[in-house]
Amino acid sequence: MKVPALKVPARESSPHTATRIGLWLGIAFGLCFVTGLLSHYVQHPPGWFAWPTRPVGLYRITQGVHVTSGVAAIPLLLAKLWTVYPKLFARPLVKSVPHALERGSILVLLGASFFELVTGLFNATQNYPWQFFFPPAHHAVAWIAVGALLVHIAVKLPLMRTPAEEVRLSSSHPGKLSRRGFLLTTGGAAAVAVLATAGGTVPWLRTVSVLGTRSAALPVNRTAAAAGVSTVDSDWRLTVGSRQFSRPELEALPQTTAELPIACVEGWSASARWTGVPVRDLLALAGVEPGDVRVESLERDGLYRASTLPAAHARDPLTLLALEVDGETLSLDHGYPCRLIAPSRPGVTQTKWVTRLEVVR
Amino acid sequence: MRWVIGALGVVMGAWGAFLLLPLVDVNLGLWFAGGPVVHDVLLAPFLGGLGLLIARWVPEPWRAPVQVGGILTGVLGLLAVPLLWRPFAGPPNPGLNDRDYLVGLLVAVGVIWLGVSAAALTGQARRRRTGAGGPTEQNKRPHADR
Repeated sequence: MKVPALKVPARESSPHTATRIGLWLGIAFGLCFVTGLLSHYVQHPPGWFAWPTRPVGLYRITQGVHVTSGVAAIPLLLAKLWTVYPKLFARPLVKSVPHALERGSILVLLGASFFELVTGLFNATQNYPWQFFFPPAHHAVAWIAVGALLVHIAVKLPLMRTPAEEVRLSSSHPGKLSRRGFLLTTGGAAAVAVLATAGGTVPWLRTVSVLGTRSAALPVNRTAAAAGVSTVDSDWRLTVGSRQFSRPELEALPQTTAELPIACVEGWSASARWTGVPVRDLLALAGVEPGDVRVESLERDGLYRASTLPAAHARDPLTLLALEVDGETLSLDHGYPCRLIAPSRPGVTQTKWVTRLEVVR
Repeated sequence: MRWVIGALGVVMGAWGAFLLLPLVDVNLGLWFAGGPVVHDVLLAPFLGGLGLLIARWVPEPWRAPVQVGGILTGVLGLLAVPLLWRPFAGPPNPGLNDRDYLVGLLVAVGVIWLGVSAAALTGQARRRRTGAGGPTEQNKRPHADR
């Protein structure tokens, strides 16, 4: 070991500090896991799952909490590991079978935690230095991380109940900062991390969030060029059941205007005023019984060329096939001739360049 | 109660492993194992060394503020990595990632170090006002400023 040779005062792990930061980290992971799971179920709804249409910004809030709690967890995890780092060098390496299992579970916890935070951070900026498909991997490893976290909590629970004084006396201070100073710095680092990034979804933080995404008022996540949609000519028709509508016909129908957010799975969100025809009116005009509605796009392929609108959203008066945004005709990048915009839905399911609405059940 | 929490954890972890199994390959394995290795072998010793340097070379009224400033700078630097290092970025999305992140990062770091200086200077002034007496860090540990 080099550390004693440098005449560093021996540093012990400090369980009291570790459990305090652990509690914060546990809250961040818990929020991140629950909101992430909700986002997964909204996009791949199992039979028992129902997602409300109100408040209209519900998904904006849950996904904002997801990304923000994940960002806050980065400094918290590093601080937590700093307080227990000396334990890595504890000898003997393993004392018993339970001890070996405990160390193994911590290795799994760390691997899964770093995996989730690093892949999540990169995904939030749409940067993919890995070869696997992000959503299923991020989802599966989240279960591993939270499972290993619960095992870790079960093992360490008695430590948490140790009276603070006793722990304080038996532990040395971490570095030159006082214990309180270290806790304050950790909380401050988490706050700075959140302030620096949350502007992507919290409008009044935009100028402060120097590392936030979404610099424009309403970004385009998938451009028409990327989707392979070049021009839309006048023989474009929207097919609803057996009826067909041209764009002038849609414009002639009664219009609804609503302030609705686009909330992306990557955590950014932006509100806009959308004007168009409610989907339920179109279904009624076509004489189709409402139900789950499959929405198809001009986009030839790609993962998000179609989406399924749950019945509750299809019935909602604010679920629009939008023709205008903020008082202007949709640009091709925003989905001209018409796009879906529904309350409380992930951005990837707000299908653009819509060609067909079909009730599937 | 502990056993209930632990058992729930094992079940959830097993479910995650079951979901992950069809996706496992070398690349995913590296990303899973990479975090703890990079932290334990590179990041933590680096930070420890940095802390040691600060403890040795930075005089007392500056020491704690410099540590705090260093931590905040490091966190912002880490968060900026996927924004500044983008060889693997997806197709450009207008209005999403088009801020000047380098300038933003430098401004934020500048503000932090202004705060560090302010904290250290006010600490120094307070120390001078209250006089050299009192149990400061320096007279408790004679070699602290070496």
